[in-house]
Amino acid sequence: MASAGSKGIDGVSRVKAGVARVGDDATAADRKIRLRRIRKRLLSEALVRFALLVLLWFSLSYGLGPDLAPYRLRFAGLLALFILLPGLAYKRRHLVEARDAVSHMWAFSQLHFSEVSQMLEASNVLQADIKDSKPYIDVMHEQIGDSLSESEGEVLKVIEQIGLLHAKASQQRERIAESIKSGKELNESTNIRIENNKQIIAAIEMQLDAQNEEFMSNFERIEGMAGEVGSLAPLVKVITSIAQQTSLLALNAEIEAARAGNAGRGFAVVAFEVRKLAVLSTKAAADISEKIKTTCKKVDAEMGAAKDSLKEHESNTAMSHLIGDLGGMQDEFSKNSRLLLEVITEVDANYEESVMRLSQALGHIQFQDVMRQRMEHVQESLVEMREHLLRLSEDAADPARDGHLDLTFKSMLAAHFNKYRMASQAVTHLAVSGGESTGDHSRPAIELF
Amino acid sequence: MAMTILVVDDSATMVMSLKATLSMSGFLVETASHGQAALDKLKSGTKPNLIITDINMPVMGGMELIGKVRALPGFRFIPILTLTTESEASKRDEGKRLGATGWLVKPVSGDDLVKVIKKVLPGA
Repeated sequence: MASAGSKGIDGVSRVKAGVARVGDDATAADRKIRLRRIRKRLLSEALVRFALLVLLWFSLSYGLGPDLAPYRLRFAGLLALFILLPGLAYKRRHLVEARDAVSHMWAFSQLHFSEVSQMLEASNVLQADIKDSKPYIDVMHEQIGDSLSESEGEVLKVIEQIGLLHAKASQQRERIAESIKSGKELNESTNIRIENNKQIIAAIEMQLDAQNEEFMSNFERIEGMAGEVGSLAPLVKVITSIAQQTSLLALNAEIEAARAGNAGRGFAVVAFEVRKLAVLSTKAAADISEKIKTTCKKVDAEMGAAKDSLKEHESNTAMSHLIGDLGGMQDEFSKNSRLLLEVITEVDANYEESVMRLSQALGHIQFQDVMRQRMEHVQESLVEMREHLLRLSEDAADPARDGHLDLTFKSMLAAHFNKYRMASQAVTHLAVSGGESTGDHSRPAIELF
Repeated sequence: MAMTILVVDDSATMVMSLKATLSMSGFLVETASHGQAALDKLKSGTKPNLIITDINMPVMGGMELIGKVRALPGFRFIPILTLTTESEASKRDEGKRLGATGWLVKPVSGDDLVKVIKKVLPGA
């Protein structure tokens, strides 16, 4: 194929070279034309003279009498010379020119015979190569067709993927919608609970304050009573001391009464009774002292308990702080809950945008259909070109052809304008071939009637 | 209630992409690969709210379909949009004469398509 092609190209170049040489030899071409004219003229004159000779021959053959018949041939020869010689003398100059032209043509034909042979050979190669354009164009046609099929298949996969993406996104959106609903409910519920908790905390804090005040009041009162009880202890000592002194005095009175004898007997009885009272007073004082000690111990125990309560009061304050911290945490939770709701809402807005962009992407996929239609038009054009080239090849091989072409590439190209569906096809055509558009593609892409 | 759109196009990519676009916008989509198939669907009881059709299709083209749909009882006022690569004015005028509601030249973005649909389908 490659050798045939190179051969063809070589043949074409040789033909071109031969044509160029003929072109260069303009004088030879002129002579050729003149020779043709002279030959025609001489031929026509020769025919006229031949016709006259034939006429003369028939006249002499049948017009002369038998006596003159032997001289018929001589007479005819003289007449022929009479007719032909002036013409020959008159055309001598042309005959010389004709001789020169014939000799030149002979030299010319000798010179260009090889080129003409090469031209014929090149023409045969070109015809064969034009025939070979059919499989070439068929392959290109199929290449375009396969590319269109593949691109269509891939675009369908893209659409399928976009469809799946949209289905997934729709599921996500449903979840987002549920999340938004739950988030709103959670936010409202949290706010209500926080409000309730704040009221409860405030009530607890008020109760704690009241309890603290009451506790402090009780503590102070018990502390006062404990002081009063403790202050009884010295009085018991005084009573004990008085009882002991009284007992000692009664003993002394008894002794003195005994010394007085009968006169002091009554006094002795009194002294004895006084001493007994003193002993009883001492015992009573001891009991009182014991009870005061017991009471003081109990008071101390109560005071210890009160001190523990005081410590507990301090822990109540810590609890108040804890409640305060809890309120802060609730506020923080409420804030985060709102933030979460905002994030979910933003995700929903992003989803809307994603759907819009997917929709835009699907719109761009329509370009595949536009491209397909343009390429199908190119395929039709390739088929048209193939058929035309085959016709040209057959016509070139047909010696009966007069060289007239019913269909040319120029007319085929012009005819494409009526086949275009899109403005872009016409624009490309005009950009390459020039000329003016015959169709009106100026109306907007979207038109409502 | 979701509205139904009948998409008529011989290109599988066009049918698929339009179906996906319109579904995303909440429409129900019926499809046909040429005018005759669309006409058969309409005759068998399918009652779309809108028809979107290509023009150059095998078996029966969009122009013929528009004329025949308009002749069907109950389809005189149904909106018909053409979605085609044909942009020449004389074709548009012919479509208008046959009863098309609008003429859209491919490619049309999904956003623009839905806007046009909402114009010709109040309440969509």
